Amino acid sequence: MFNEKIVNPAELRHWEGKIELYWIYTSGVAGDKFFKALKDEEKFIAAKCKKCGKVYFPPRMYCEFDFSETEYVEVSGEGSVRAFTVARLDKDEKLMEKPEIYAIIDMDGTDGCMVHLLGEVEPEDVYIGMRVKPVLKEKGEREGKITDILYFKPS
Amino acid sequence: MEVERISGLKFHKKQDVAIVGAGMTTFKRRLNETGKELSYLAIKQALEEADMDLSDIEMVVMGSAPDTFDGLHMKGEYLLDGSGGSDRPYMRVFVGGGTGVFAPIAGYWHVASGLADVCLVVCEEKMSSSHPHPQSAFKYIWDPILDRPLNPNLIWIFALEMNRYMHVHNIKHEDIALVSVKNKANALDHPCAQLAEKITVEDVLNSEPMALPVRRLDVSPPSDGAAALIMVAPHIARQVTDNPVWVTGVGWALDTTMWTNRDLYFPRYVAEAAKMAYRMAHITDPRKEIDVAEPYDPFDYKELHHMEGLGLAKKGEAPILTREGVTARDGDLPCSPSGGLLGVGNPIAATMGVKAGELYWQLAYRAGKRQVAKEVTTGVCQAWGDLMQVGTVMVMSNKR
Repeated sequence: MFNEKIVNPAELRHWEGKIELYWIYTSGVAGDKFFKALKDEEKFIAAKCKKCGKVYFPPRMYCEFDFSETEYVEVSGEGSVRAFTVARLDKDEKLMEKPEIYAIIDMDGTDGCMVHLLGEVEPEDVYIGMRVKPVLKEKGEREGKITDILYFKPS
Repeated sequence: MEVERISGLKFHKKQDVAIVGAGMTTFKRRLNETGKELSYLAIKQALEEADMDLSDIEMVVMGSAPDTFDGLHMKGEYLLDGSGGSDRPYMRVFVGGGTGVFAPIAGYWHVASGLADVCLVVCEEKMSSSHPHPQSAFKYIWDPILDRPLNPNLIWIFALEMNRYMHVHNIKHEDIALVSVKNKANALDHPCAQLAEKITVEDVLNSEPMALPVRRLDVSPPSDGAAALIMVAPHIARQVTDNPVWVTGVGWALDTTMWTNRDLYFPRYVAEAAKMAYRMAHITDPRKEIDVAEPYDPFDYKELHHMEGLGLAKKGEAPILTREGVTARDGDLPCSPSGGLLGVGNPIAATMGVKAGELYWQLAYRAGKRQVAKEVTTGVCQAWGDLMQVGTVMVMSNKR
């Protein structure tokens, strides 16, 4: 009946299914530039709008707000904490062994922020406005991915 | 097809709608550009053609088909910043393959209702992200209990439809193959084309069997790409161009999801959508009043099927018109002068560029080498999709 309380749907006549697909995502024109510089040269590339001067990080090939072209500029990769959270439960609501600190980091010399982990700092010592700098994987271990940045640490 | 003449306020609108610019990226099997970057590139061209800036755009419609291609759940939101949608009213619409004409229909609502005077319509598809093959994604559009355990894919579903169409009208594969020959040759003049080729009927008949009667050259390829259109109110059209193309009718309809219960040999969903669009456009005899057509051609038999659904040919007559050269670029009723999906490529929603986009270019006399020989005033474009059940139709005219 429609008002019957069903706790386990597998007790009903049922089929199981899953979507068996996987994807290969390209990083695109601006993404290639960003990840290659990060992996090979430990450099942080941003993109500056040729019209309004807005600086995007990570870089984009276009300005989102006026659709002008952009030019690549190098930035330090350092920044300051704009907001943070201390995660204690994972996505499946399991208690994490060690809390993780996620922060929105205001990137120096850009008009944008990125989200990443904070490390080498205790949760109670983090504050908004704290200066941070990136810690990268060793050169040989870098793959040209956002996780090549291990975390940001206080500077 | 007979269409009733209507009068009065049945399709009342606040203002007329014109198309004043279009753009599209190259269509390729795999592109490095992200979906956002592709959208940006297409929009940039459309803005240039319309002599406009992004700041002139009031609202944005994004068309993109299943999320499973790009591999991003809610990809409308993901594509926003490359679609010029930031800080303005933005929506994504999709009806599978029908999106390529449904997205401009949604753009039409925006302007005809008076909510916007300038609406940007952009369509994007990046099928190459999907693995093991984009076709694998289609398995999940079927009923999970009745159809999916049989491992269906679109090729063999359409083979069933093609088989039924050939049987009911006693059509030979040779006659159907002529569509593929025509469209791939037309695509030689399209700078964005993926599969432009001079081929013969024998090439089609001898190509690799996929699910008979469907062979490799009966089918359009998976592609990456994007396309954009700019739709405006009359007072804006006057400011930016001397050659606006007016949207005079729109229509859409869906047939039952129980696809096994359909006739298969005739696309009723297209006929219903076409009747709605023709009534709005005051077209009572489409075969006489339509000068140029872009029927949806993901398979060669589908162009014929859809011509019949659009009332451009009687049931079973489309292969004869094709054989007689009526649908050639220099014929009396040019069909798919762009090169269509068979020749230019099939990035699902982004096929807007070779359907609605091409029709606009033809009627604005901006199609360059692809311009049809005859004088053109009125045309129709159409797309088809969802679980092979949706027909989306748009009628345009260069006379208001």
